[in-house]
Order: sequence, then structure tokens, then C-alpha cells
Amino acid sequence: MISPVLAIIYIFIIPGFFFLFAYALFLEYLDRRIIARMQTRVGPPLIQPVADLIKMLGKEVIDPAGVDRALFDAIPLVALAAVMTAFLYVPVVGNSPFAFQGDLVLVLYLLTIPTIALFLLGWLSRNIFSAVGGIRAVTQLFIYEVPFFLALLTPALMAGTWSVSEIARWQQDNLWFAVLQPIAFVIALVGLQAKLERTPFDIPEAETEIVAGPWTELTGRRLAAMHLAFDIYLVAGSALVAALFLGGPLTPWTITPVWLGWIAGFFIFIGKTLVILLILSAFKAATGRIRIDQLNRIGWKYLAGASIVQLAIVLVMNSVRVNV
Amino acid sequence: MPEVVIPIGPQHPALKEPVNFRVIADGEKIVRLDLDLSYNHRGIEKAAEQRNFIRVLPLLERVCGICSHSHATAFAKGIEELMGLRIPPRAQYIRTIIAELERMHSHLLWLGVAAHEIGFNTLFMWTWRDREEVQDTLEEMSGNRVHYGMNEVGGVRRDLSASQVKAALGRLPSLQERIGKYVDMVNNQRTMLVRFRGIGTLSKEEALEFGTVGPTARASGVDYDTRRDDPYLVYDEVPWDVVTASDGDVFGRTEVRIGEIAESIRIVRHCLENLPEGPIRVNAPKTAPKGEVLSRYEAPRGELVHFIRTNGTDRVERVDIRTPTLANWTSVAHELVGQNLADIPVIVAAIDPCLSCTSRLTVINSRDKKECQVSFEELRRKKKTTWAGGGPA
Amino acid sequence: MNEPCSLDFVRETMKDFGTADQAGRGRFRIDTTPEKIRNAVNACRERLHCNRFIAISSADTPPVLELIYHFTGPHRAVISLAIGVPREAPVTPTLSDILPPAGILERQIHDLFGIEFTGHPGLKKIILNEDWPEGEFPLRKDWKPGPDTFYGGFREG
Repeated sequence: MISPVLAIIYIFIIPGFFFLFAYALFLEYLDRRIIARMQTRVGPPLIQPVADLIKMLGKEVIDPAGVDRALFDAIPLVALAAVMTAFLYVPVVGNSPFAFQGDLVLVLYLLTIPTIALFLLGWLSRNIFSAVGGIRAVTQLFIYEVPFFLALLTPALMAGTWSVSEIARWQQDNLWFAVLQPIAFVIALVGLQAKLERTPFDIPEAETEIVAGPWTELTGRRLAAMHLAFDIYLVAGSALVAALFLGGPLTPWTITPVWLGWIAGFFIFIGKTLVILLILSAFKAATGRIRIDQLNRIGWKYLAGASIVQLAIVLVMNSVRVNV
Repeated sequence: MPEVVIPIGPQHPALKEPVNFRVIADGEKIVRLDLDLSYNHRGIEKAAEQRNFIRVLPLLERVCGICSHSHATAFAKGIEELMGLRIPPRAQYIRTIIAELERMHSHLLWLGVAAHEIGFNTLFMWTWRDREEVQDTLEEMSGNRVHYGMNEVGGVRRDLSASQVKAALGRLPSLQERIGKYVDMVNNQRTMLVRFRGIGTLSKEEALEFGTVGPTARASGVDYDTRRDDPYLVYDEVPWDVVTASDGDVFGRTEVRIGEIAESIRIVRHCLENLPEGPIRVNAPKTAPKGEVLSRYEAPRGELVHFIRTNGTDRVERVDIRTPTLANWTSVAHELVGQNLADIPVIVAAIDPCLSCTSRLTVINSRDKKECQVSFEELRRKKKTTWAGGGPA
Repeated sequence: MNEPCSLDFVRETMKDFGTADQAGRGRFRIDTTPEKIRNAVNACRERLHCNRFIAISSADTPPVLELIYHFTGPHRAVISLAIGVPREAPVTPTLSDILPPAGILERQIHDLFGIEFTGHPGLKKIILNEDWPEGEFPLRKDWKPGPDTFYGGFREG
């Protein structure tokens, strides 16, 4: 384990919370800018997400009648805490100092909490639009979570370990999993888009149908916390997919000295997550929203089916390698 | 889930204008709905009875922003028929050009709105950017982006200069190319196909039975188009085709509207290139003889009907407006039952509703200046506020 | 049938219901009574081959309130069936069961003129706001807004 001083710096400054907030806001800016350019618009300036956050923090908090205020305050913070913690276990400059066997499961569990938070908010809002949105969020969760988990399971199977950092390190000696398991890579990206509730999977917050779904009654600092939580969610999700499929912050050769490796790893990490963001933004700009029953069909027929096929292929490949 | 009442309106992000659909839903399926159209009611028909022919045209133009020229032209041509006036050919051509440009910008707007309703914002941004080309042309010609004020009884009020004609012709080729791209996109884009196909289907018999008009009806194969059936302006001289489709669902209506934009480009190009010389108006008499006329016009949303009755004075005795959106509401109410909640915006948007047109009747024309202040608080509640003070004649 | 309708044909077919007249280019008007209107509409649809209903126009021509039903068909002519409803007892049978679009239009006319359509499934307010006072029919010629009547909505003070 690392020394306490380094741990504090790692958690709170870089690549911890300070960097995480900055990078999350930067990715939000990039996402909006890329989509705007694709739509022949100009898009917001660099400082826009920061300005939005500050503005939201300053707005009045409106409590709908009869709503449990303490819970309403707590739930966005819980979601925020969950995604921030998840990020700590993803390799950013080399191995994560908190890595342990099974942290993949922990990260995946923590990354489902924002969706559950949305459902709770929708349910507690005493508002028909929010309730419908919350139910849609959970329905969507059931649909994409199975293929997504399976798609993230297959790299773990092939690498023979349950730690995200070790899976990233395994790819240093072998090929990237994006090359070895392309089906899983595609499913992971689609699943990530669905987890983040971005078009075509922004069903729970379909503006033209149910106002803003579970987000309808969030105001002021609660909205700021939830909004920031989803921005960080994007970073954590992209970082996870980058670590599992694109080799994380590591290159196929080891860099010495160690501190140079960390700096190089940092920039490689940023580069790979930017690539994933580019794919997700293009996906968002190029599609419209689908309906929940259509998602149901696509999710179970194609996504789940493909992920099981990928699983079978990986099991076969594993046994072949063992024998060879 | 037991039956739940979901209020769609009067304020709702899916609606561009206030209307109250109270949707009673069972889970995600719609069981029935109630309709309340009173929110944009302004008392125009009664107010029109108090104004002479010069003053009534700007009033009727403001029935609706997007189909303003339709209302003005329908009324003007009705009065001209009653008076027995023949307006000069140049005026007819100019009216046609503005009418078709209006159709183009209305359909492009609709395409963007339909894409927005399904969350496909990229197409929304693209079509509205192309719509700006049409709006620039209209602004050059008339000075306004909506409410062009081109008509008067007896002709048009403004002429088109040669440079305006040239600028307009210059914008048409790029528009035509973009329309080609949209045809491609609509036919191949997966999410659009998945959200539009099979939604809100209306068979040909149902379309006829429910009295649907316009692109909604033509998408079901009903071959009625007032420009061909009851020709007015120059539609019998210009080569153009009626666009129909056979699907009867929202996808069919998209096809029909895009096809109509292409036809409008054709008509505008022909009219601009063959604009006859001559005067743009004749002097109309002040009063109209006693009579009644049914003036029909193909507005972008469908057939618009003005029933005008005159009594020998310089005002109408009665103008009864039946707008295309009102004719299409019955089919919407029928189509929505049994569909998903998520499809409400798509189905309602597919008839291209113009609620300002739908709700324009009755008076609020009082001599005693009864005025109501409306606070934002009150607007948020689901009640209509009566605006009084239409002004005595 | 795509051949244009002639005045004689219309006159002959509709002679049980009233006299037919040419009312402008391509339009024929037949004056009939509220008792016969339902049969007249059916005759128009079957014998004159009018498969599309256009609109119900309404007007206040003292001493009656006039209702005019317009139809058209593949022959492209417009057939207008006109009835006059007495003002003191404005009652006429509904057409909403044989003509679905008439449902909304009749509700509107009921709001504005006060004509009762017997047999209509639900003559609720549609074009006027819910709290518009009863008995005030704005589009009648003799209607003036009363200075002390409250027409619904909100007002300051």
C-alpha cells in the first residue's frame, strides 16, 4: 500500500477529486462542443460547465409539497459519492493504489447507484412525470445491465483476474481486449451509453414526453450535485471501459523511471478516455430516442444474445490457450 | 399500474401551443383522452365582423403565425369572387410565390419539430438552419419572417424587384440538394424509421370518414388537394404534382411533406422565372354585394375553408373559419387510443397542429375596457385567462 | 365517379329534401329542414357520391340560426346542405354518429351559438373556457358582453 501522504494526494488532488471534477467538467464541455459542431451550431465556450454548476448551486431549492426533504437532499449526494469512489479504483497513472481482487465487482456495483438514485428521486417526487421517469430508469437498468456485465466479465475471464488494474496490466503483455473481444467492446460502449442515459437511451428523461422525468423536481444544489454526479459518471465509465478494453494508462512496453511512467500514463489515460468520449458523442448526435419497449426487444434479442456469444468464444479461446 | 391521468398540457414541453389533452393511461398505453382547445381563443371571428375589408385582413392574418398568408389569401380571394374582381396576373404570381414559400418553411419547421419530438436533435438543427434560407427570402420580399402583409382585396401590396427575384432563385438549388439529403435520411435512419413506422396509422377509409385533410390525408392515399380540385391563384397554369403516399402512418406523412417541399421549390422556381409584367393591384370597390361564398385554400396543414357572407356593406356579415387542424383532431383522438405514451408527441406532431388556428372564435370585444392582468403564477395554472378590450369598431 | 356534377342531377336526386341552386363556381346549395337533415346527409353521401365532409358553417341570420354542411367527392363539386334553426328553440339532431368529424364541430357551435344537438354524446365546452357563464352565446348577433358578468379566468383585485 502507499504512504498516507501519497494516498491523500491521490484521493483529493490528482488523480483524485480535484482532477476528477476538472476533468468531468472538461468532458462535459467537449461533449457539448462536439455535438454542436456536428449539428452545425457553435456550441458553448470552455468555461460553460463551470458556469452552469455555479449557477445551479446558487438557485433556490424548491421542495414540492409533502416530499421528504432530508432524503431529497441526501440522494444526489449519495450518487455523487458513489461515482467518485468508483473512480478511485480505476487505473489512471498505473495501478490504482487501492486495487484488490474483486474491485471490478465493486466498481460495477457503485456505478449502478446513480440509476437507483434516479428511481428513488422519481418515486419520492410525488409527481406523475417523475414517477414514470423513475420506473423507466429502472426498467432500462434491467435491460442493459445483463449484457453490460457480461461484456465486462469476458475480459476478466481471459485475464484470469477480478481486479481492474490487473486486467489493464494483462493487456500490456498481450493485445488490447478491444482487438481480442470486439463484440464485448461494442456491447460495453452501447451499455455505457445506456447507463449514462444518453440518446438513444435517454428514455427516463425524455423531455418531450415526461418533462424531465426523475430530474423534474430537482432544483438548486440538489440539481447541481446530480448533474455533477452524472458528469463524473461519464468519466468513471469511460475510464473503466478504457482500462478494460484499451489497456488503461499503460503502453505495451514498460517506461522507466517510474515517475516518467506515471506522467506518460496520465496523458495516455486522457487520450484513451477522449477517444471513448468521441465515440459516445457521435453516437448521441446521430440517433433519436427509442421507446422503452423497443429497447426491451433490442436489449434482450441482440445485446444479451451477442454477449452470450462473446462469452462462449472467450471460454473456447481460454481452453485453447491453456492447451497450447 | 392502475389507470392514471397524465396531463399533457396546457403547458408541456411537447406542445408548441397550449392545448389540454388529459390522457388516461394504463401503464404506458393510452385508454382515452379528453380534449380542451380553449387556450388560444381570441375572438377573431366576431372581431372580423366589425372591421372593413382593409382593416380585417391584418386581423385575419394573425389567426396564425405560420399560415398567416393562407388566411389572408383565402379571405381576399373570397371577397374578390363576391365582388366579381379579376386581379392582375402579376399579383396572382406573387401571391403564389409567397404561398409556396410559406408552405416550404412550414414543412421544414414541421420536420424539425417531428425530429425533436423523438429526441433526434441533430435533424432538428439541420432543418431549421435550412429554413433560415426560406425565411431570408421571405424577409427580403415582404419585410417580415411571418405575417407578410402582402395581400389586399384587389391584389398585392408590394412588388418584387428584379434583384429580389434573382436572390430568391439563387437560394433554391442548395435547398433542393438538402431536401434530397433529407429524403435519404428519412428512408435510412434507423431510429427515425423505428419511431415513425407503424405509428398513428390511418387507413384510407378512416381518413375519409374522419374528414382528415392535407398531408395527413394524402399520406393515407386520399387524393384530395384543393390546389388541384378547386384551382385558385395560378395552380392551374404551373406544372406541379400532388404528392401522396400509401402508408398512412407518421412515416408516410413525413414522406408527403418532404415531397411537397420539393414540389414547392419547383413551383416557386417556375413562378419566379415566368413572372409576368404589369400592375400588382386593381382598385377594389369599398363594399361587396350581398352574397355568400365558400373560399377553399390549401394551407400547409391542409384544406382551409372560409365561409364568407356579405350584406352589401363594407364589412362581412359572417366569416366562419374551419381550419385544417380542427378537421384533423378527430383522427388524432381516434389514433391515440391504444398507443404508447411515448408516441403522443409524435402522433400529435404528425398532423402538424396549429392551435392558434384551431381556437380562434368568439368575441372579446367590449366597449367597456374590461381588462385582466395575468401574473406568471396564474399562467402556470390550467386556466385560460380572458383578454378583453378588443376595441369598438 | 369522376364526372362533374350537373345542377339537374343534383336537383333531381335531392328533390325530396329541398330545392337545389347553383351557389358559385362548382358549388350547389340545397335548403332543407332540421327534421330531414340526417336523411339528406345520407342521400348526399350515397346517391351523390360525396365521400368527404368539409365543414359545418354557421351564421346568425335573424330570425334563424343557419347551419350549412358542406360535402365533396371525387366529382370535385361542393354540395352544401343548409338548414335554419329557430332562435327561440335552437334544437337540431346531431350528425356525430354518422359523421365523426361533426362531433368536435357541433361542440364548438353549441358553445358559440347555443344550438342543442340532440343525441350528441357529450356537449361539453371545447372552445370557450370551462368557467364561461351559461347562457352567453358570443357569436349571436344580439350578444354584447355584460359589464358586470365575469367571463372566467382570473382578474386582479
